[in-house]
Amino acid sequence: METDDVPLDDKAKRMRDLLSSFYAPDPSSTENAPSNPGTLDAINTTSFDADQYMNLLIQKSNLEALLQRHVEMAAEIKNIDTDLQMLVYENYNKFISATDAIKRMKTNIVGMEANMEQLLDKIMSVQSKSDGVNTSLFEKRERVEKLHRTRNLLRKVQFIYDLPARLEKCIEAEAYVDAVKFYTGAMPIFKAYGDSSFHDCKQASEEAIAVIVKNLQGKLFSDSESIQSRAEAAVLLKQLDFPVDSLQVKLLEKLEQSLGDLQLKTNDIENASMESNDPKQGKVSDSVHITAHEGSVRGFAEAISAYRVIFPESEEQLIKLVQDVVVKNFETTEQYVKGRISSANLLCVLRTIWTDVLLMDEVLSEAVLPVFSLEAAQIALKQHVASSFNYLLQDISDALLRVNVSSKEAAEEHPLQVALEASKKAVLQGSMDVLLDFRQLLDDDLQLLVQLRDFIIDWVQEGFQDFFRALYDRFLLLSGRNSSSRQDQGLTGAHGEKVLAGLVLVLAQLSVFIEQTVIPRITEEIAASFSGGGARGCENGPAFVPGVICRIFRSAGERLLHHYINMRTQKVSTLLRKRFTTPNWVKHKEPREVHMFVDLFLQELKESASEVKQILPQGLARKHRRSDSNGSTASSRSNQLRDDKMTRSNTQRARSQLLETHLAKLFKQKVEIFTKVEYTQESVVTTTVKLCLKSLQEFVRLQTFNRSGFQQIQLDIQFLRTPLKETVEDEAAVDFLLDEVIVAASERCLDPIPLEPPILDRLIQAKLAKWKEQNLISP
Amino acid sequence: MQGGSSGIGYGLKYQARCISDVKADTDHTSFLTGTLSLREENEVHLIRLSSGGTELICEGLFSHPNEIWDLASCPFDQRIFSTVFSTGESYGAAIWQIPELYGQLNSPQLERIASLDAHARKINCVLWWPSGRHDKLISIDDENLFLWTLDCSKKTAQVQSKQSSGMLHYLSGGAWDPHDINAVATTCESSVQFWDLRTMKKTNAVERAHIRNANYDMKNNHILVTAEDESGIHIWDLRKPKSPVKELPGHTHWTWAVSCNPEYDGLILSAGTDSTVNLWLAPTSAEEEATSESIAEPPAQRADPLLNSYSDYEDSVYGLAWSSREPWMFASLSYDGRVVVESVRPFLSRR
Repeated sequence: METDDVPLDDKAKRMRDLLSSFYAPDPSSTENAPSNPGTLDAINTTSFDADQYMNLLIQKSNLEALLQRHVEMAAEIKNIDTDLQMLVYENYNKFISATDAIKRMKTNIVGMEANMEQLLDKIMSVQSKSDGVNTSLFEKRERVEKLHRTRNLLRKVQFIYDLPARLEKCIEAEAYVDAVKFYTGAMPIFKAYGDSSFHDCKQASEEAIAVIVKNLQGKLFSDSESIQSRAEAAVLLKQLDFPVDSLQVKLLEKLEQSLGDLQLKTNDIENASMESNDPKQGKVSDSVHITAHEGSVRGFAEAISAYRVIFPESEEQLIKLVQDVVVKNFETTEQYVKGRISSANLLCVLRTIWTDVLLMDEVLSEAVLPVFSLEAAQIALKQHVASSFNYLLQDISDALLRVNVSSKEAAEEHPLQVALEASKKAVLQGSMDVLLDFRQLLDDDLQLLVQLRDFIIDWVQEGFQDFFRALYDRFLLLSGRNSSSRQDQGLTGAHGEKVLAGLVLVLAQLSVFIEQTVIPRITEEIAASFSGGGARGCENGPAFVPGVICRIFRSAGERLLHHYINMRTQKVSTLLRKRFTTPNWVKHKEPREVHMFVDLFLQELKESASEVKQILPQGLARKHRRSDSNGSTASSRSNQLRDDKMTRSNTQRARSQLLETHLAKLFKQKVEIFTKVEYTQESVVTTTVKLCLKSLQEFVRLQTFNRSGFQQIQLDIQFLRTPLKETVEDEAAVDFLLDEVIVAASERCLDPIPLEPPILDRLIQAKLAKWKEQNLISP
Repeated sequence: MQGGSSGIGYGLKYQARCISDVKADTDHTSFLTGTLSLREENEVHLIRLSSGGTELICEGLFSHPNEIWDLASCPFDQRIFSTVFSTGESYGAAIWQIPELYGQLNSPQLERIASLDAHARKINCVLWWPSGRHDKLISIDDENLFLWTLDCSKKTAQVQSKQSSGMLHYLSGGAWDPHDINAVATTCESSVQFWDLRTMKKTNAVERAHIRNANYDMKNNHILVTAEDESGIHIWDLRKPKSPVKELPGHTHWTWAVSCNPEYDGLILSAGTDSTVNLWLAPTSAEEEATSESIAEPPAQRADPLLNSYSDYEDSVYGLAWSSREPWMFASLSYDGRVVVESVRPFLSRR
């Protein structure tokens, strides 16, 4: 089956190809492709070369294939022959049918000509009849048209003549719209013929129009007219070619004038705040003031809306105008904020402005006044926060500096204590007040502030952070650490320095107070009412970092305390330096009494103690515990040393004594001379004493003494024991240091023979009696 | 002798104040120290760090006639050194030569090359020019500054020039600028004064009270470090003498001595009467402008300049010396006569 099918298909295809090639106008187009004569397929092309084909065939194929090919080819040739016959036959068939068709056409066409001629005649007659009708009607029609035209013209003339009267009527009826419409309608005619035939008419109607214009202007400017009619008037005027611009400018000027009333005056604000401070009276007058203000703003807003309707294209000017008002108001506010005001007052002012803004926004939303005023308010608020903190800082340093003043007046008994309390209060109360103040800002539901809430929170937090930093700087400045002023103050005299030292102590204690009380309170307060914020962006974290501030003030407190102790010891050092560098110790005379530097030293200590007592808390009964713990070994050792010194008295002893000292040092626990300073009266005084005694020891070590010099030192130091014990917490260390001084003196003595105990005792007793007497009088 | 944490200890018989690095000894790390005993026979010890660095060996022990208040090794001859001594009533200064009897510990006599005996007042110190061979010496007493010409071969020392510090200025010490052979700083009660040795005129002054000790930075020109009784350590740029470049807190009690490392920039040692030696890192060149804020800034934000505090001492530490041969080693001397040599290596890595 398949084998039959394929040749059949092939056959049909070839037939079609042959037919198409036969009828095709161009034989070349039948060639679907330029065939390669080199292949066996080229048999069906025009460029077929039989010899070449043969050669190729012989070359390429074996015998069997050739034979096969031969058979194929013979079959193909036979096929083609039959095809050809069939083609010829079909062609012939078609030709015959074509001849038949032509023959039929010829017979059909013969009778047509006569019919056509008949048709032409009939059409000609119809045309001639219609022409006749047309000419008979023409004249009449012409006349009708002419009459119509005349009538129209007459009507127009009538209108023009009636115009003045009509305008009058319109004026009477105030139907300006119609009047303007009529007039503008008549305008072209007046323009063309106004000078000749319609002169009177024109004049009369112009007069009428002038009246109209005047009326319209009046209407435009009269505030009593409705906005609608004013707007209409403006439009009509414009239609009448009246110069509207100048009117616009005039109106704008009028608006600007009314602006003057709108601006908040600093006086007003102050009045408002004054009044609001006095709640009873304030309420009434405040409300009066506010209503008055609001009234004027309302009026202004109306005027603006009217203006806008009247002159729609004047928006820009209006926006500028309105923004000007707002800017000026905020400028006054900023000016106002620079002064010292409470948030309530600021709030009052802001509220007023905001109502104004809202009112104006209603009529002129394009001016984006809320956004605009938001920005301005932001600035004002920020300034307010900053200035609040500034004033707080000022308050605190004022409170601190009062120490100087009050102690100079010497009116109060405990100037430092007073100053400390005052400044503590200033810091805590001040910051609480500030917070409370700012809370008012937050709690208010004024839309302006609600939008700025996050900002305010951030500013407040930031403000506190900066404030405490600034406070820290101020502390350092006041303590004189920050500058070289310390030296100068040292030169200005003991009095000035003393006050400064006290101030440093106050600052130290204040730092502790801030760290332990104020910061937690503020943190709490901020957490309670100023949490959130975050407008600053998360990466920076919260603006107020209590940890950092605490750390700053803790270290500041320690530094200031050390500084205080330093200042105290420095003064003693100067005293001691003078004491030890002036006399010639090698040629010292026998001691007769305790040297007066001891008095001065004790005096200094007393001063320091009195300062400390005012400021610092008492330690918790440390005295006993401390002396119990390591005092026993040291004091027994020192007693022994003293006994040694009393009994033995020759030069060889010194060496064994030195050995003894070393041995004693080896066996006894190291006395910690320099312990951490605590914020207690005892700790500070003890540290001061210890440092002074250590300095004393160092000064002694630098000198060389003769016997009397050594004895003098011995006497002085022995005397110091009693009064020092009374003031000092760490007895053991002080005892140890006093011993060390004596040991150092004996080491540096050419002939270390101590005073005989009876003489020593007598001298000390005499001095003690004197000292006690003095002590009884002075406190 | 191994006392304390990491230090190598060495004990002197008596109390002592001064220790000096023997700079001219390039083969060993050695130090000279002298005792301060009013009534006993004083000694000068030449101490050498053993090659393993674990032990301090006494290379020489020489008796010295009087108690030694100041001792300085000659920077170009390891056998020569100077001392300032006191008999209790009077002061003297001399240049000594160690006799060539190394290894024998039988107290040979020191050879006195010259006596600096032009002084009438209490002598404070004798200075050698720290940077190399120079035939001049400076000695400072309470009131005067002397410039000596030293001739070691002829064993003579002659006063070349002398200048009084002026009324009311009691000199207490000094330092010779290693960068400028003609510049010397002297400390007095209320200031540090700077002298030009050619003219013997004051060139500059830093007003600062109670300066104990001053030391020039060996690496950086114009940098002077001072130690003060109560107010710690200050670093000065001498071109800006109005205010210090840097402030270090110093010690709990007085800061007695201060010394800049000869090799590592900004490494400073200080010794104090609170029986500690503190090692500081305070580079000056990098952040000179940061001085004004240095106090205002919260301390937590700045690296602590205190690298370490060596507190294993029984008494005040007066003597302090870096080794110039091994600049990471230093020797300290406390009043009870204990020499401790320590290495600061563990702290160098932090830089």
